[in-house]
Amino acid sequence: MGKIKKKGTSGNAKNYITRSQAVRKLQISLQDFRRLCIFKGIYPREPRSKKRASKSSTPSTTFYYTKDIQYLLHEPLLNKFRDQKALAKKISKALGRNEVSDAARLERNLTPRIRLDHIIKERYPTFVDALRDLDDALSMLFLFANLPSTSEVPAKTIAKCQRLTLEFEHYLIRTHTLRKSFLSIKGIYYQATIQGQDILWLVPYKFVQRTAGDIDFRIMGTFVDFYTTLLGFINFRLYTGIGLVYPPRLDAQSEEQGAELAAFHLEGQADGKEEVIAGEIMDTDTNAKAQAEADKMLALSGPDTEDVEREVIQKAEETNASTALDQFASLDPSADALLQPSSTADAESAGQLFEAFTFFLSRETPRHPLEFILKSFGCKRVGWDTSLGEPGAYCPEDDKRITHQVVDRPDIPLPSPPLTDGEADEDAAPTRTSNHRVPGRIYVQPQWIWDTINAGQLQRPDLYAPGATLPPHLSPWVKPKKGDYDPTLSLADQATAGEEEEASDDEAEADEALEAAGDGEEVEGVRGDDEAREVEEELEADEGMDVELAASDDSEDDEDAAPGAADDDWDGLSDDEGEAPETDHATREAREHQLELEAEAKGQIIKTSDEGEKKKQARQAKKDVRTRAEREAEEDVERRKMMMSRRKRKMFEKMVYSNARKDEETEKLRGKRRKIEKGGAKA
Amino acid sequence: MAQQRAGQKRKVVEVPRPEADESEDEIVEGLINGELSDEGESEEGDSDSVEGFDEEDEDDDDLASDEIPSSDDEEDVRQQLRDLKTGGREITPDTKLMGSETGKEVSLLSHETAVRPLPRDRSDQQNYTISTDANGNPRFIYGEIDPVYDSDDSDAPAGGNTIGDIPLSYYEAYPHIGYDINGRKIARPAKGEALDSLLDSIDIPEGWTGLTDPATGQPLKLSKQELEVLRKITRSEVPGDGYDPYPDMVEWFTGKGMEEVMPLSAAPEPKRRFVPSAHEHKRVMKMVKAIKEGRIKPYQPISEEDREKAEALLEYASYDVWANEQAQADHPMNIPAPKLPPPGYEESYHPPPEYLPDKNERKAWEEQDEEDRDRDFLPSDHGALRKVPGYAQFVKDKFERCLDLYLAPRVRRSKLNIDPESLLPKLPDPAELKPFPTTCTTICRGHEGRVRTLSFDPTGRWVASGGDDGNVRVWDPSTGRQVWQIRLSREEAVNAVAWRPSEDTCIIAACCGETVHFLIPKNELCAPDTEARSQEVLSAGFGYATSATTSKTASGQDKPAASTWSRPSAQMQDRGCLLTLSLHTTPKILTWHRRADYFTTISPSTNATSTAIAIHTLSKHLTQHPFKRLKGLAQTACFHPTKPQFIVATRQRIRIYDLQQQKLEKELLPGARWISDISLHPSGTHLLISTYDKRLLWHDLELGNTPYKTLRYHSRAIRSVAFHERLPLFADASDDGTLQVFHGKVVRDSLENATVVPLKVLRGHRVTGVLGVLGVVWHPREAWCVSAGADGGVRVWT
Repeated sequence: MGKIKKKGTSGNAKNYITRSQAVRKLQISLQDFRRLCIFKGIYPREPRSKKRASKSSTPSTTFYYTKDIQYLLHEPLLNKFRDQKALAKKISKALGRNEVSDAARLERNLTPRIRLDHIIKERYPTFVDALRDLDDALSMLFLFANLPSTSEVPAKTIAKCQRLTLEFEHYLIRTHTLRKSFLSIKGIYYQATIQGQDILWLVPYKFVQRTAGDIDFRIMGTFVDFYTTLLGFINFRLYTGIGLVYPPRLDAQSEEQGAELAAFHLEGQADGKEEVIAGEIMDTDTNAKAQAEADKMLALSGPDTEDVEREVIQKAEETNASTALDQFASLDPSADALLQPSSTADAESAGQLFEAFTFFLSRETPRHPLEFILKSFGCKRVGWDTSLGEPGAYCPEDDKRITHQVVDRPDIPLPSPPLTDGEADEDAAPTRTSNHRVPGRIYVQPQWIWDTINAGQLQRPDLYAPGATLPPHLSPWVKPKKGDYDPTLSLADQATAGEEEEASDDEAEADEALEAAGDGEEVEGVRGDDEAREVEEELEADEGMDVELAASDDSEDDEDAAPGAADDDWDGLSDDEGEAPETDHATREAREHQLELEAEAKGQIIKTSDEGEKKKQARQAKKDVRTRAEREAEEDVERRKMMMSRRKRKMFEKMVYSNARKDEETEKLRGKRRKIEKGGAKA
Repeated sequence: MAQQRAGQKRKVVEVPRPEADESEDEIVEGLINGELSDEGESEEGDSDSVEGFDEEDEDDDDLASDEIPSSDDEEDVRQQLRDLKTGGREITPDTKLMGSETGKEVSLLSHETAVRPLPRDRSDQQNYTISTDANGNPRFIYGEIDPVYDSDDSDAPAGGNTIGDIPLSYYEAYPHIGYDINGRKIARPAKGEALDSLLDSIDIPEGWTGLTDPATGQPLKLSKQELEVLRKITRSEVPGDGYDPYPDMVEWFTGKGMEEVMPLSAAPEPKRRFVPSAHEHKRVMKMVKAIKEGRIKPYQPISEEDREKAEALLEYASYDVWANEQAQADHPMNIPAPKLPPPGYEESYHPPPEYLPDKNERKAWEEQDEEDRDRDFLPSDHGALRKVPGYAQFVKDKFERCLDLYLAPRVRRSKLNIDPESLLPKLPDPAELKPFPTTCTTICRGHEGRVRTLSFDPTGRWVASGGDDGNVRVWDPSTGRQVWQIRLSREEAVNAVAWRPSEDTCIIAACCGETVHFLIPKNELCAPDTEARSQEVLSAGFGYATSATTSKTASGQDKPAASTWSRPSAQMQDRGCLLTLSLHTTPKILTWHRRADYFTTISPSTNATSTAIAIHTLSKHLTQHPFKRLKGLAQTACFHPTKPQFIVATRQRIRIYDLQQQKLEKELLPGARWISDISLHPSGTHLLISTYDKRLLWHDLELGNTPYKTLRYHSRAIRSVAFHERLPLFADASDDGTLQVFHGKVVRDSLENATVVPLKVLRGHRVTGVLGVLGVVWHPREAWCVSAGADGGVRVWT
């Protein structure tokens, strides 16, 4: 016989401790415990059996893994926290004695410096681990870089965040590792791939953030402390990895002028020679090849920019011929589709996307994200309006080298024809207002750039012309699965058979309604444009009802027409839901036949079998067939479910439920789209 | 002068003798210190004191003693000495103490104190020799003092009793009261006369204390002085008179004219005190040199700028943390934080229009509680990038993410991302299991009220039914036409209908009220020869009837016969009822034996449990009650198709009896609360039990007495269950208005389990009241079944 095991010595009871127990064990305050947990990445757990893990009767407690807490016991930071506590006592004592200078001296000399280097190394044993966990860090630091400085968020922290994020962006520009970006209503999402790790982060738009509400900036500050240290080390590693000196030289003066990216000067490690990356000043002569390219483009541009586009694309394709990835088209739709890397998946092709162009950013466009994206996709020459910050701009607006101008205005008219040729040539530049287009360059809205980089190829610029209605901006991360709604495909490609038929039914109904109303003075759905939509909506709402009404009318009519044919048996069954539809069709046919026979005998002509009715019947028949098939399938499932164990059945039902919800959602989307399309067609 | 002092000292040494005899009051002596003032006086003038000595013998004795050294008055001294020697010896200190005169002055005593340290020399009398000095005066030459132990025993009272601390009462019988230091007996002091004691008692002598001196055994007397001292001590006052505890300070070195000139030395200051130290200069020069050379750095407080610079330097990462990185295997308990999902289409600033919420959705979203929302934003369309406003919840979102990262418990959950279809068990295709009834082909209407019971004719051409209206009707199941009908009763319902299972006759047994009717349908149902044969069968028993009744009377005269076999009225006979069997209970179930000669009726009534089950023999018109006492309420019973076994179902138990050996063969425990019906598989090895508690139980009789399978697919009570005779099918009828058809294949091989496959749910009967389908019966050959509904319809399912 084995030894009797004592209760509470193993398993859940021993593996988990509550938070208060942990705090008591570490002998620190709750605040310090929180900081420690944030720094060390320790999080509560959910014991499999909460009852066994907790010794108290209070139901909701946070549990930590005991070994995590034991591991915290050896943390050097614990001593720092204690030092801090001692110092706080000293200072408060000094202040209590009115010895302000003493307190200041103590604070100056004794404040322990908390270094998190060892924690970085502990939490992320390898560099790749750190990259994997960079999403939250970047989102947070980009947010703090955009916050105003307050008492809770000191300016120093903000400056540090700004510096680190700009450094990181410089690395991305240098290595062309930015892959995708997406304009969301929350901010701009970016995705970069560094050493095979996909890093996704969100940068807010440049607005003053609302910080009201119960937001504890101490907690966020602790996170930011950790993340700044982390990003510092990552930047060091990234910079040294590509042979640059870290930290890059920061030009304080240009930074103050709002140079942002251009304020940094990256230096190579080998010779210490300065490589100016960002800040190519206007006067510096550009590299000859790019200049030639731009000149060629200028020469070509004029009649149609499309050709230029195409050429450029062709050229790009030619150069890429050897390395470009081939598209794998699946022949069998049922086969598993492999995730295919996008065409900008490697740095080389990403770096060539905008290489040949010179961009100019109008003053209403967001300069920083555009500059960052353009540069990281190979564009070396980006100019912008002086109101967006002087330093770093490549050229002014009227520069002849500009191939693309990014504008975000309702519309920009072409310049009015000059009065006299001679004058115009001389005074063209000074008299031109910013509201006129400069001929010879492509005007696009900012979305063009985002859609281009996500697609990996240049999009048609005419769709994105100023003032044009933009095509929908789609998230590049959604990979539609089988059965999901995909807005890029046409409805016919993805709708299920049932839906389509329903839709066609609806259409037919609508057609009929139109026909019926055709005699009247006003035709529904062909009214003025602004009214049309409302009416349609009403129509949609009513349609279902109409169908039902029609059906009920039919049956009533039938019964009225043939009171004699009413069968006793039939009457008695009218309540039977299960059988009704099944027998419905057959009996109706039989009844109709009977009616016909009777009418024939009486010598009357019945009007039931007119065209519309027939169509309706055919549709009904189709529907019946479908519903029967559906019902049979349903029955089959029901039958098989009978033989499952209860647990399995529950699981099955859960899964079916969740799938049904998903299907419902996609169906809703499809329905909406159908409506919109129809509305568009009518209008 | 010094010499004189020394001489005086010697003299003083000598003095103890007079002091010894006069050292009366040791207490007083101890208490009073010698007055300095007196001594000072005595030092001042010699001659005066000598004179004083002469004049006042007793008063200025102290002065005299001081003056003794003066060489002139040696005669006196000697005299004095002599006196001391002779007189002082005999007198014990005690007596001296007792007899101390009141007239003695304190001053006298104080004199003695000055010489007090000297008494030790008392024993050294012979320690000196007297010779004459140069002047002819006697010269005392002292020998060496022998410092023995006793020599300075100043503590021990001289001449006292040495008996120690024992009570004097021990010596009462003796003339002495102890021993002195020399071992001599101390004689008891003579006691006064009786008169003395009387006088003593009358007037208290002076100093009487009432105590007895332990040392002497005499009454202890204290003088007034002593009493006074004691009193002062008890009041913690200074005991001696005239002692001033707080004397005025005598200014010896301070005060006017008494100033001393300091320092005491008048030596001139040395030069070195005015010249800088060369050594120090040397050391300073060394430091200066070190500072000049930069070996010593002067202290400088760190300026703010420097501090900031240092901090800024620390802010930059200056080394690679991952310089020598080593991948670590992930701990199984470590759960990395889940990444936020990438944004979908609906988050776009310019989404496809179908993602935009319509009015209702927007309203619903706004009304929802913030925590219930499945999305934390509402998709919205902004035509151009410039129109996009700031996202108000941005900071809050990030803050929540922070909270999630450090506060949310993390659990690893395996998500089953499979097609739910794959969970469903693989069942044989129903098409392979055909034939089975799928649809209702015919509905036979005619019964008013419920149809309670059904029975197929052995050929399968007709189906008989009985209902609440008291009618038995025979239908053609293929067309639904009523072929024959007989009313058995106006009030009572037909509870059971059963065709006799033999193809050459055409007899229906029907239970209506307490009577069992045997019917021969007259119509086209049976050919004339069949009818004749049937009549023959029914009437064959009448030959036995008498014997049966006699046997019954033999068993019990008083008892009325348990059953009566009789011919009904002629009218009834015309209509087709040829034989009746009346019982005293109401039979609800009637089952034929396969040989068609026996049948059993079950009347589940509580008052007559012994007659609840009856087995009848048609050919002999015999009725037997096999169970004298039955445990539980009988529900139904049936015969085994091949073995001579009889299966009885009570409410909760199934019992199988062997009819030949007349004993219980087996008892099954289906675990049901109330059994409604049973059906035995044609092979006799499997039993189906339907229960009112919504369960259908499959018993394998060879396996054990608990169910092999429990099926629970009905939402209401199951009324009836039936195996098909030939095909592997069975069906049950329930109060929820449905019939369920199963495929139940029983394999001969006992190692293989039976397979049960649900096939079809047949819906069609209406639920009236709480009753749905009351009975189900199978066609003997085809895969058709007929069901009896509480709605009055008989449905044929094919």
